[in-house]
Amino acid sequence: MGNVKLDRLTKRYGDADAAAVDDVSLDIERGEFMVLLGPSGCGKSTTLRMIAGLEPITGGTLSIDGEVMNRVPARDRDIAMVFQSYALYPHMTVFDNLAFGLKRRGFAREEIDRRVTDAAGILGLAPYLARKPHALSGGQRQRVALGRAIVRDPKVFLFDEPLSNLDAALRVSMRNELVKLHQRLGTTMIYVTHDQVEAMSMGSRICIMQDGRVAQVGRPLDVYRHPANTFVASFLGSPQINLVESGVTPGEDGRSTLVVGGARIHAHCPPGHSRVIVGIRPEDFYLPGEAPDDAVGASLAARVLAVEALGAETVLLLDVEGVEKDVTARVGRSAHTAAGDLVELTVDTRAMRLFDAASGVALDPGSTTG
Amino acid sequence: MTTSIRFDLKHGFLVVALALYTAFAAGPFLWVASMSLRTTTEISAEPYALPDTLHFSKFAIAWTDGNYGTYFGNSVIVVLSAVAVLTVIGAMAAHCFARYRFPFRRFLYFLVFSTIIFPPQITIIALFQILVEYGLFNTRTGLVLAYVAFQLPITVYILESFFARIPSDLYDAARMDGYSEWEIFWRISLPVAMPALSTTVILNTILLWNEFLYAVVLITDDDKRTLPLGIQKYMGDQLIDIGMLATGLMIAIVPVVIVYVFFSEKLIQGMTAGAIK
Amino acid sequence: MEHTAGRLTSSEPGLGLRPVGAIAGFLAPALIIYFAFTAYPVVRTIWNSFFQVFPNRPDEFVGWANYATLLFEDRFFHRAVGNTLVWALISPVVEIAIALLLALALYARVPGSRFFRLAWFTPVLMSYVVVGIIWTWIFNFDWGIANGMLRAVGLDHWAQAWLGHPDTALPSLIFVTTWMWAGFNMVVLLAAMHSLPSEVLEAAELDNCGWMAKLRYIVIPLVRPTILNLMVLSFVGKMRVFDLVWITTRGGPLWSTETVSTYVYKRAFNWNTFDLGYPCAIATIWFVVVLGGVLILTGLLRSRDKLEY
Repeated sequence: MGNVKLDRLTKRYGDADAAAVDDVSLDIERGEFMVLLGPSGCGKSTTLRMIAGLEPITGGTLSIDGEVMNRVPARDRDIAMVFQSYALYPHMTVFDNLAFGLKRRGFAREEIDRRVTDAAGILGLAPYLARKPHALSGGQRQRVALGRAIVRDPKVFLFDEPLSNLDAALRVSMRNELVKLHQRLGTTMIYVTHDQVEAMSMGSRICIMQDGRVAQVGRPLDVYRHPANTFVASFLGSPQINLVESGVTPGEDGRSTLVVGGARIHAHCPPGHSRVIVGIRPEDFYLPGEAPDDAVGASLAARVLAVEALGAETVLLLDVEGVEKDVTARVGRSAHTAAGDLVELTVDTRAMRLFDAASGVALDPGSTTG
Repeated sequence: MTTSIRFDLKHGFLVVALALYTAFAAGPFLWVASMSLRTTTEISAEPYALPDTLHFSKFAIAWTDGNYGTYFGNSVIVVLSAVAVLTVIGAMAAHCFARYRFPFRRFLYFLVFSTIIFPPQITIIALFQILVEYGLFNTRTGLVLAYVAFQLPITVYILESFFARIPSDLYDAARMDGYSEWEIFWRISLPVAMPALSTTVILNTILLWNEFLYAVVLITDDDKRTLPLGIQKYMGDQLIDIGMLATGLMIAIVPVVIVYVFFSEKLIQGMTAGAIK
Repeated sequence: MEHTAGRLTSSEPGLGLRPVGAIAGFLAPALIIYFAFTAYPVVRTIWNSFFQVFPNRPDEFVGWANYATLLFEDRFFHRAVGNTLVWALISPVVEIAIALLLALALYARVPGSRFFRLAWFTPVLMSYVVVGIIWTWIFNFDWGIANGMLRAVGLDHWAQAWLGHPDTALPSLIFVTTWMWAGFNMVVLLAAMHSLPSEVLEAAELDNCGWMAKLRYIVIPLVRPTILNLMVLSFVGKMRVFDLVWITTRGGPLWSTETVSTYVYKRAFNWNTFDLGYPCAIATIWFVVVLGGVLILTGLLRSRDKLEY
């Protein structure tokens, strides 16, 4: 129950040259929390809507539990969906909103009552069952939308950016509740978002999409640490990863020498690349004395342009000689620096990623060392 | 000081002008209302006096002897049937134009919509022929069909613009909840569009209640006449019983007034819907 | 694999599904009514216009003869066209001018504006039949209030049978339609004005802009699209006017209030000529004139827009 398999799924609108969703293959296991992540227009919502049956599939196959679903109408797929706009029926009470899908499926009155009461209990909606949606707060509406999916007890839950209309605090708490809900129900969930924090914190796996294609699929931390290309690397992580172009000088011991600013870095670099992009996450910079003992480092001189003291950490905006773009570093909370200071930073080169300068594709991920 | 006096003068002048215009706009109606309760003798003696005694019995006389009861009944039957059919098929078409994309959608919508400006003469003669050929001439059914066709464009126009504003997620949610397109129309579109539906119902009721041209061409029997035709019959008499005719006019006006009292905003909305951009 | 066939096929983004059966089901009743009782009659009317159509006799093809007659010989028709055009060209201007004044008066937030608005809208709620009868009485020579008021202020020699004289009948009827529609136009204009950004008018206030200047330079240009719509609506309404004339004057006296609509009706159903082909030709010509008029009116007012900005 609940295995969703996308095999070269494609969506083309009319005679448009570019496909909105292009050859997407994805095997979502039962009980998995799969996040489709990407910027707007990357095809993640269209993919979700094809799974739902709301958007006709123009190529490839979609199967649920081994059964091909391409031609099965939405109402027969046994899938529930939570919409960004909540899409609550404005003319029905909360109870009727929850019961609407059950009534159509011919459940007995008592069974409907039981399920609605259960879901309302889980979501804390019991006091509001007689209200109409317009009399609810944003968070409550969100819960009704969730409840409408829960009562159905479907094979698969689909979420289309369900938290993006909530305010920041509510979003964090709903995130936790969704994770708990997933643990409790154990149903397959497919969750579309453009928010990398939601993806990292909720997904058992993340599928990052770009221009209608899958850029990378994997567990959140794997994808974060070993991004398949510069797009994935910069989409995940805040502040963004620093991407610096560098020439490659092949060395004798199989390691090459890269130049980032004033620092010369030795790294394994597959042959045949004269230029690479070096990716360094902001948290892999250390102020003097902050570096962990086992850090394998190179030293980098930089001038501080701006300091953002956030309390738990400090974000520095740096100008590094020989690097065009500003470099962002995330250092300890006790950093005593001011704009204009010259600082000597240590870079943990083990965490550094290399990408092909032309294509942006990662070079032999996970093998660079100091 | 001077400015405020001048302002007050201007203001006072304005109010007087507005009051005069109001008397001008509503006066004729009040005059008929007063005449409808006075006998013809009283009216001939003093046309513009207020009623001394309220002769409500005149309404009973008009209703039975003047045959207004029959006309009223015909009007009710014809108008209610036409409005019921219009609302259902107009809403179905509007829902379809607003919620689906299909070939010739814009063309078909334009075709239906453009007939709003057609003069009725372009259809009425052929409509007469057609209804004669199908044995529907001089029947209430024929008149209802003509009315449905006549009011369909404006009905579709008002409803389409409302249906188009319903978020499509709502329909998708109902699809996910297991409902067919047909069920979605009845259970989502119609209830959510209640405000627009009531607007078209009220608008069509009033317009068809007052309709004259189609009725005069398509109905000839006295016992099938609608109210405007019945009234017109008395107007044609050489010796017009003015008092009784005024009562007849009131019988035609009162339902409209009642609708206006309860639904004035809806009615204004409907009547002006075609003109507001 | 064939994905384009079947009941779910692709379309624009957003409104994804195209369930053919449902679409056909929703549209069919309206389209059947439309084609049977609107489109087919229109086509048949145009077709008829090239024939002589007598009851119980096969139609006789006459080519353009009907058109030749009505364009070059039928003086009644020419009179009807003249009357209708006068009506359709004067009414929009007069109605909307009065409506603008009324709307501005209410826009200046006079106390009781809601009441005024409701009261002024009432004439349009009554049928032309009712309105026609009431105004026949109002215009009555002996006891009509129109003459009564003239006599009261000593203008006895102005008193006359307003609908009974060829010179005054048409202006009197135009007066009646103005009475009917000015309030309606006012309500629409008022709604349009209320949707204007109030800052614009306040700015004009600060610039010490006078009442007339404000009207001329700010309000009218901003509600121009609404005015255009109302003009088209009023124009189309007067081009088809029938009920009012039929109830009050039947086109008389001496053809002075004959409109194209009443003439079509007379030729088709009232005179015992029985030929339906000729009135169909009139209806066809008029159909073309109305469509052309709407196009010209829209084009004319639109292009003036472009000149001004």
